[in-house]
Amino acid sequence: MFIINCPYCGEREQSEFKAGGEAHIVRPKQPTELSDDQWAEYLFMRKNIKGIQFERWVHTHGCRKWFNVIRDTSNDMIKAVYKMGEKPPTK
Amino acid sequence: MLNYTNTITEEKSYPGLQMKEVKPIMKLIIRGKKREFLSAIGKSLNLLLPTESNTSSTSEKLSALWLSPDEWMIYSNEISKSDNNDYETEILLEKNISKTNLGAVTDVTDQFVMINIKGDKIFDLFETGCPFNFNDFRNKNGSVTQTILAKIDVIIHNQNKNEVNLFVRRSFSQHLFSWMNDSASRL
Repeated sequence: MFIINCPYCGEREQSEFKAGGEAHIVRPKQPTELSDDQWAEYLFMRKNIKGIQFERWVHTHGCRKWFNVIRDTSNDMIKAVYKMGEKPPTK
Repeated sequence: MLNYTNTITEEKSYPGLQMKEVKPIMKLIIRGKKREFLSAIGKSLNLLLPTESNTSSTSEKLSALWLSPDEWMIYSNEISKSDNNDYETEILLEKNISKTNLGAVTDVTDQFVMINIKGDKIFDLFETGCPFNFNDFRNKNGSVTQTILAKIDVIIHNQNKNEVNLFVRRSFSQHLFSWMNDSASRL
């Protein structure tokens, strides 16, 4: 259990949110030219690292908006929260 | 309002707590992003939509609750006639918002049940089943939150000191109301 600072509603408990997997995965420009392996790589393979990970979250039980979260998966520390379409903060 | 077999039939009272369903109340969800949308709503209803998060605005007849950056709920402050299913406000907004493609207007009168809760133990009741931090919320009139109460999605509008309006989807209302009664009896 941890608290996420929704960029629209403010600090809310994690149970109001749903995780949407890794962020910043770019869809291939020409899917038809990819091999099955490359397509599977894009579709299914995620980094799932222990440490700092870029994720998408949605505030399901609140404003129902998607946003990005930088979370340390080893201790659930949230480093930054930023809106969809924004660049991740550099530091 | 449509003709329902109502699930919440009576007003319940506990020390420091009274709860009852208020009906029929007109409720609309409006969605839009453009600046013209906000000004069109303002002009049509004589009510400025709140743009700050978790707040509301009130006019003589209507209240507007902030739900998300592009979504608001408007509800009537007074009960309407029970045999009527057309609302002046909805017709007006349909003409000025929907027809001009500024945004969307949806009638949710029958989707949501409004439960009015009064008393000084409202937040003690909520705290038994809600992850939301009510510390700032309870001291600010007109604050709004969408959260979960006993695992059910609710919209809570802090109307006055010791008076709160709670909106819950109709199919959950009976369960939530009996949960609230159960919880209130143990406070």
